[in-house]
Parts: sequence; C-alpha cells; structure tokens
Amino acid sequence: MNVTAQFKRLALTPQEMFETWFGSGLQLCGQTIIMFVLTLRCIIKGQIDWSEVWRQCYFIGVNSFVVVAITAVFTGFAMSLQIARELVLFGADTAIGGVVSLALIREIGPITAGVMVAGRVGSAIAAELTTMMVTEQIDALTVMRIDPVQFLVVPRYVAAMLMVPLLSIYAMFIGLLAGINIAHIAANLPPETFMDSVKQTILDRDFTVHFIKAGINATLVIMFSCAIGLHTRGGAEDVGIATTRSIVWTMTMIFVFNYIVTSLTYAPR
Amino acid sequence: MVVGRPSEKSGNAPMIEVVDLWKSFNGRTVLKGVNFKVWAGETLAIIGPSGCGKSTILKHLCGLLTPDKGEIIKRSDEIGLVFQSSALLNSLTVGENLALGLRRRKLSKREQSEIIMEKLKLVGLADYINTYPPQLSGGQQKRTGFARAIVNDPKIILYDEPTTGLDPVMSTIIEDYIIELEHELKAASIVVTHQLSTWSRTADRVNLMFAGNMVWEGSPTEALQSEDQYMKQFAHATRQGPMAAGKV
Repeated sequence: MNVTAQFKRLALTPQEMFETWFGSGLQLCGQTIIMFVLTLRCIIKGQIDWSEVWRQCYFIGVNSFVVVAITAVFTGFAMSLQIARELVLFGADTAIGGVVSLALIREIGPITAGVMVAGRVGSAIAAELTTMMVTEQIDALTVMRIDPVQFLVVPRYVAAMLMVPLLSIYAMFIGLLAGINIAHIAANLPPETFMDSVKQTILDRDFTVHFIKAGINATLVIMFSCAIGLHTRGGAEDVGIATTRSIVWTMTMIFVFNYIVTSLTYAPR
Repeated sequence: MVVGRPSEKSGNAPMIEVVDLWKSFNGRTVLKGVNFKVWAGETLAIIGPSGCGKSTILKHLCGLLTPDKGEIIKRSDEIGLVFQSSALLNSLTVGENLALGLRRRKLSKREQSEIIMEKLKLVGLADYINTYPPQLSGGQQKRTGFARAIVNDPKIILYDEPTTGLDPVMSTIIEDYIIELEHELKAASIVVTHQLSTWSRTADRVNLMFAGNMVWEGSPTEALQSEDQYMKQFAHATRQGPMAAGKV
C-alpha cells in the first residue's frame, strides 16, 4: 500500500496529517515553555522540596551511572579507533588524544548523557505523570491545593540540573579512558603522549560549553517529559503513546539544541 | 429544569448553591442549566445513569472544571473529594498521602501525626500508616481516600461513586462513614452514585439527573415510591421508560 493509500485509509489527506502533526507539535512546545516558566517561578520563590530532590537525584543520577558508562566506553572505543586509523596514515598520531578529547568534551559527553537520561529518565517521568493524570492523582493534588508543578516538576528539574552535568563529565572521562586504551592498542600510542595532546588541546571554554549543553539537555528532558505527562488524558494506551512521544521529542530536541549551541560557540568567524 | 420540591431550610444560607450551570465538551453539551442547593449537615445524592453529567458537577464544585455559563457559590473553600478511583499517590505511603492534605497548614510533625492517626483510626486503617497503596485492597484504598478527603475536617465533602466496585459489606461500611461524618462534621455532602443502597441510606435528598438536567428531586423514601416516569424507571431498574439506552 503506498503512502497516499495509507492516508486515505486513515481518512486524512497528507495535508491534514501534516497540520495535525504540526499543530500538536506547536502546542507541545507552548506547553513546555509555560511549564519551564512556572518551574523557574517556583525555584525563584524557593519552593523546593529538597528531600524529594535528593530522591530524584538518586533516580536520575545514581541509577544512570552504569548505562552512561557502558555507552561512553563503546563510543570512546569506536571514535578513538576511527581517529587513530586516519591520523596514523598522516603521521599525526600524537594528535589523537587532542582530537578524541575535543570530540568528547564538546559533543559526545553531553549528547551521550543527555540521550541516555532522555531514554531512561524522560520516558519514565512521562509514563509516571501520564499514569497519575489518567488515575486522577493530579486532580487529587489540585483539590488539596497542591501545585502539581511545584510538587512534581520542580524536584525533578533541580535534580536533573545537578545530575546531568555530572553524568556528562563522567561520560567524557569514561570515553577518554576508553580512547587512551584503544589508542595504545591500535596505534601503539603511549598514554602519556595521549594525555599531553589532551592538555594542549582542551581549553577552559570547552568545559563551559560542556556544562551549558548539559544544563540545556537536563532542561529539555525534564520539561518535555513533564509537559507531555501533565497534558495527556485517556487510558492505558495513552501512557504508551506519551512515553514514545517523550523519547522522540527529547532526543530530537537534544540534537537540535546541541547544534545551536555549537554553532553559537564554535562557528568560524 | 428542576422538577420536584426544593427542600429549603429556613434561616440558613446554603453551603453550596449551583445556579444555571452549563458545560460542553467538544460540542457536546453535558450540563444544561443545572440548579441545586445543599445546606450544612445535609447530604444530597445526585443519581442518574452513567454519562449523564454527575461527576462533571463534582469537578466543577472542587474547581477542576470551570463552567461555560452559570454560577457556583460555596460558603467554604475547605473541600474534601473522595474519588471513584481513590486517586492515591502510589509512590507515597498511606500516612504520607494523608499528610499531603495538611501541607499548607504548617503544622508540626507531631501535630500532623496525631491528625493522620486520628483519621486512619476512624476508617480502621491505623495499622497501615506505612503501607503503600498498591499493597492495599480496593476497599482499603477507598477508605484511605476517604480519610485523606476529611483530613482537614472540610465543610463540604464530595463523594464520587464511593461504593462502586465494592462488595456489599464494604459498601455498607463506607455508607456508615458517610452518615457518621454528616453528623460529626456537620458538613454539606454531595454523593454522586447510581447504587440504590448508597443513596437510599445516606441521602437526605435525592436529585435525579438525566441528559444534563435535574429531572426529579425529593427524599429517598419519596424516590422509591415515586410515580414520576424517570424516577420510577431508575429506582426500579426497568428497561421501559424515558431513559432508554443511548439517550444519555
């Protein structure tokens, strides 16, 4: 069945399909921005439940350390292998450490941590909040005059802002260790030479950009997941849809914003 | 449209007054000019077939929905709502669920514990204070939701299908709580239900809803003996009558 036939079966023209998709996307972006503003307002007012923040830190951060480490190790292996292979051909093997570390600190570290947190934490948050909506738990909070944003979103956001930068820097170091190993095995490059190259290449600004990206990733994951969770109604099927939607949106936005930050900070002048 | 006798109690202003309430969802009108009043110490049962707009009224009363047209006058902002699904937060223990209702009162830990224990004793769940909701039976969850709704001694208590899905013994226990609370708290209560035993035992007045309107009002005894075509069909659960399937 071709695409037009499929649209006809769904009783939607391609234009209607695009309008529905675009409209819901635009609506979600609006809901996410409003949620972000409401969250910041609570934080500025000091309405933070710190015991819940620590609980969320454990869930978001500590429970993600293993998956982030595994992803970072294999990313470091693959990247170092590719870079080593090419640079050795040009006799520039002493630059392997610098190139690997630049890629890790500027792009791979924040993206690896962001994507893993989006997959593991963002989806769980969207599923949890949607279930709470469907089972009237959010209504119960509202009746008790408890602000759902203050109660549910603020602790998750504060915890993510603390833990995602930590995970990003952790992913970078794990990737770097993997890179040192592979460079040693594949290009016979001593770890000392690798580290000398790293020290000569990395600037303080790279760390600043790294933490900016990590903070943006934390914001995207929590705000999109919470906005999707707190605006979904329906039944069990909608919990699944909300979870998928959260992963798709947060991961896409991580890559989009990663490019925006990179272009603003590293574009040639 | 209000049919039947309004049971006004002389002298006191009603605790809840709903005037010409209208609400539509996606072009479908669910409430079509609903009017009623409830006084302190009185229990009003809103009965009717599923989908006729009963729960929508409760959501308006507790502020979860805003009317398209009409007015809701409440003499107290202290409202307790017992949800049909209990709506307990699964990540919190029974005690913590009750403590949620006390957050804004800035009480000490000891004062909070005392109130929580008092309410849990009232519903026979004092031993379950540290238990998580998924570990409770349906009846126990309902009773926890009940305790949470009354933790602030509200002046208005709303019950959304409080006995639906419970066995007859547990239904009777819940009905007894509703009666007990009416006497103890002197609260204005609204019970939304279609369970005959619940409205006939707990209510002082009964309003029958059909297709977004109040079509009959009277006491439970009058309801059971009524010759009104709507009330008769609903009270005697017959297929013949104006409330045919699909007309809701």
